[in-house]
Amino acid sequence: MKQITKILFLITVIGITSCSPKITSNFTNPQPKLSIDENVALLDIDNSLPENVVKVGELRFQDSMFSTDCSFNSLMNQARVEARKNGANIVKVINKKKPDLWSSCYRLKIELYKYDGDVSSLNQYELKLD
Amino acid sequence: MKIIIKTLLLSTILLLSSCATIISGSRQNVEINSEPTSAKVYLNEIEVGTTPVQKSLKRNQEYRLVLKLDGYQTYETKLEKKFNAWYIGNIAFGGLIGIIIDPITGAIHKLKPEEVDGNLKKGTTYDTKGGKLFVKISMDIDPNSEKVGQLEKSE
Repeated sequence: MKQITKILFLITVIGITSCSPKITSNFTNPQPKLSIDENVALLDIDNSLPENVVKVGELRFQDSMFSTDCSFNSLMNQARVEARKNGANIVKVINKKKPDLWSSCYRLKIELYKYDGDVSSLNQYELKLD
Repeated sequence: MKIIIKTLLLSTILLLSSCATIISGSRQNVEINSEPTSAKVYLNEIEVGTTPVQKSLKRNQEYRLVLKLDGYQTYETKLEKKFNAWYIGNIAFGGLIGIIIDPITGAIHKLKPEEVDGNLKKGTTYDTKGGKLFVKISMDIDPNSEKVGQLEKSE
């Protein structure tokens, strides 16, 4: 009986704490933080990067096995928050794995860039509420 | 016959055991209001309408809420996911399935405005009725704005 209680407790703890995707980051050239009023462009695989951009770092979103908050829109929103914190105004998806038999999550490899031009004029992904 | 009854009983127990998902659902209705009204509401930088506005939001996500209104300071807070007490029903009623299902559907959470050191952001009040979250924001006048006139309704 004690064993069952322990297992239930463990599942509960995992259920509560492990619903976010695993994020790994590598910032090679962090820039001054951006304010909330500064636009950040979200570029999907098909959207091309403008010229003269400075690479700030990389992000990788993986399935933590218990992830539930891992839709494409949610991950792109989290990437935008990380971009602002590190002074990047372009979020560029360079590798995208859609949910499949092995994972119910999007898995993304993202590069972050700083661009001195107007990012709102770039052809970009339009974020939606899930 | 006994097998059918046992199967039905077992199915009922299993189906009814995802307490939070059954009671709360995977989404939560959220109504956002402001004083004064007609402020533009943004969730995760997406414009969703003007106050009062109602949205059905996923419980397993966090949202950044921003309100903008001319002549008033931009208001910003987060809608955070907190523990939904209905999840305990799984443990109380022995719903092993529910312990797994509720985190998957997100019903283990409920949305609430962000608190810093146990306090809500200035001007924020909220209430929960029937699982629906009502958030009311009292917006501060922007000290940098200047009143140049007022339109009055002609009789």
